[in-house]
Amino acid sequence: MTTLSRPRRVLYSALGVGVFLVLWELTLRSGLLPGTLVPLPSAIPGVLWLELSDGIWFEVVGSSLAHYSVGLLVGSVLGILVGVSAALLPRFDAAHAWLARLLRPIPPLAWIPFAIIWFGVTPTAAAFIISIGVFWINYFASYSAVRSVDPGYDEVARAFGQHGFLPRLAKVNLPAASPGILGGLRAGLGQGWMTVVAAELFGIPGIGQRMMEASSLLATDIVVVYMLTIAALYALLDFVFMLFQRRMLRWQP
Amino acid sequence: MSAVRSESTPVLNARNLSLGFGRTTVLTDVDLTLHPQEFTAVVGTSGVGKSTLLRALTGLIAPHDGEVTIPARRADASRAWSMVFQAPRLFPWRRVRANVELGLEGLGLSRAERRRRAMEPLALVGLEEYAGRWPHTLSGGQQQRVGIARALAVRPQVLFMDEPFSALDAITRRRLQQELVELRRRTEAAIVFVTHDIEEAVSLADRVMVLGGQDTGHPAGVIDTVEVGLPLDGRRDHPAFSALVQRVEEMIA
Repeated sequence: MTTLSRPRRVLYSALGVGVFLVLWELTLRSGLLPGTLVPLPSAIPGVLWLELSDGIWFEVVGSSLAHYSVGLLVGSVLGILVGVSAALLPRFDAAHAWLARLLRPIPPLAWIPFAIIWFGVTPTAAAFIISIGVFWINYFASYSAVRSVDPGYDEVARAFGQHGFLPRLAKVNLPAASPGILGGLRAGLGQGWMTVVAAELFGIPGIGQRMMEASSLLATDIVVVYMLTIAALYALLDFVFMLFQRRMLRWQP
Repeated sequence: MSAVRSESTPVLNARNLSLGFGRTTVLTDVDLTLHPQEFTAVVGTSGVGKSTLLRALTGLIAPHDGEVTIPARRADASRAWSMVFQAPRLFPWRRVRANVELGLEGLGLSRAERRRRAMEPLALVGLEEYAGRWPHTLSGGQQQRVGIARALAVRPQVLFMDEPFSALDAITRRRLQQELVELRRRTEAAIVFVTHDIEEAVSLADRVMVLGGQDTGHPAGVIDTVEVGLPLDGRRDHPAFSALVQRVEEMIA
């Protein structure tokens, strides 16, 4: 297979998007598809501008980001904490292994009924649902990352007087497992974001709720504005995290 | 061995050591007494228990029988023993200097003092300028030099070296052997050097402990301890060198 130079790749990728948008526009303008099903792509920038100038965009994105951050923080911290502990403490590992196997397959959205019973239709409920998905990703990533740390490093640490559990955790296990742990955090970032919209569909203010509102009025253009918003914000978050990850792992070859 | 050294207080005393894996004893009846600045090489075929002996002497593994005494370390922020491993096993997430500082952590030194103490052995192995580098940017020989600096930084009374040059190419190996001859003049430490290379053992050590004699169902033991008694400088060219190497080879064969 021949490979393309970078500028050419960018050119073809842009061309692909352009062709897709033109076909979309033409299909609607020619009447092949009714305008009630999908909006005209050319109408999107105007609708985005309206959402921005009314301040609605900032409001819904702000509240989505708020429960996203809380859910992400809680899920990541607990996931890493439990995952690392399970990997290092055999008794704890054995004691909760079956419980983890039982709870793991339950999708975050299946917790919605309990989220509402426990927290009501509140941002806390959304944060709770988001944290569940994030928790499991971080739990498994950090568990396997710590388990696969070369035991040779541990021997070195002991040979150089680092005997305690905490010194070895800080000096060997966590840094050696950091590539896997950071990988889990990054995957959790995506998983959490995917859950945000779903967690808001039942009425918690945010992007999801705004989309449901718009769709009930057949305002498909507004729906598309927020679909694009979700994609763009995720790309931004992921990019920023990737820079952080690269900085943290600059010791890797 | 000078009379003065033999009269000084031993830095290591091992009596009737037996060791192995699980219920299998691989090595039995090992006695070893070390005085400051003595260099003992341990040779024997693969699987005879050389590395296991080293780990039992350090306390990293428990012997089946017998006891090892390494008197408490001196007061000046040093450790009783340290080790150079077969693979350098530097922590890839620490820069070179931080790797050398590992054993100094927890000795109550200030950050500046730790830094100074780490730079001394780095200068000794000629890698002062590499202090800020990541380990993966160093060659295999340089990494092993850092491993030696890390072991010297704690000013050990006993320095254990587990086939430290066996993973290196022939030229680098010979260069590091020469460097070790220089280094041992500058350190107070007694050295226990495990190798399967008899020439290496005879060229570096004051005495060579030959392990062997294992048979089906019968563990190995110390066949003999050979006093080398040749001057360190130009030892390989000494007329008695080859005969000594041959003598040890015959013991193992």
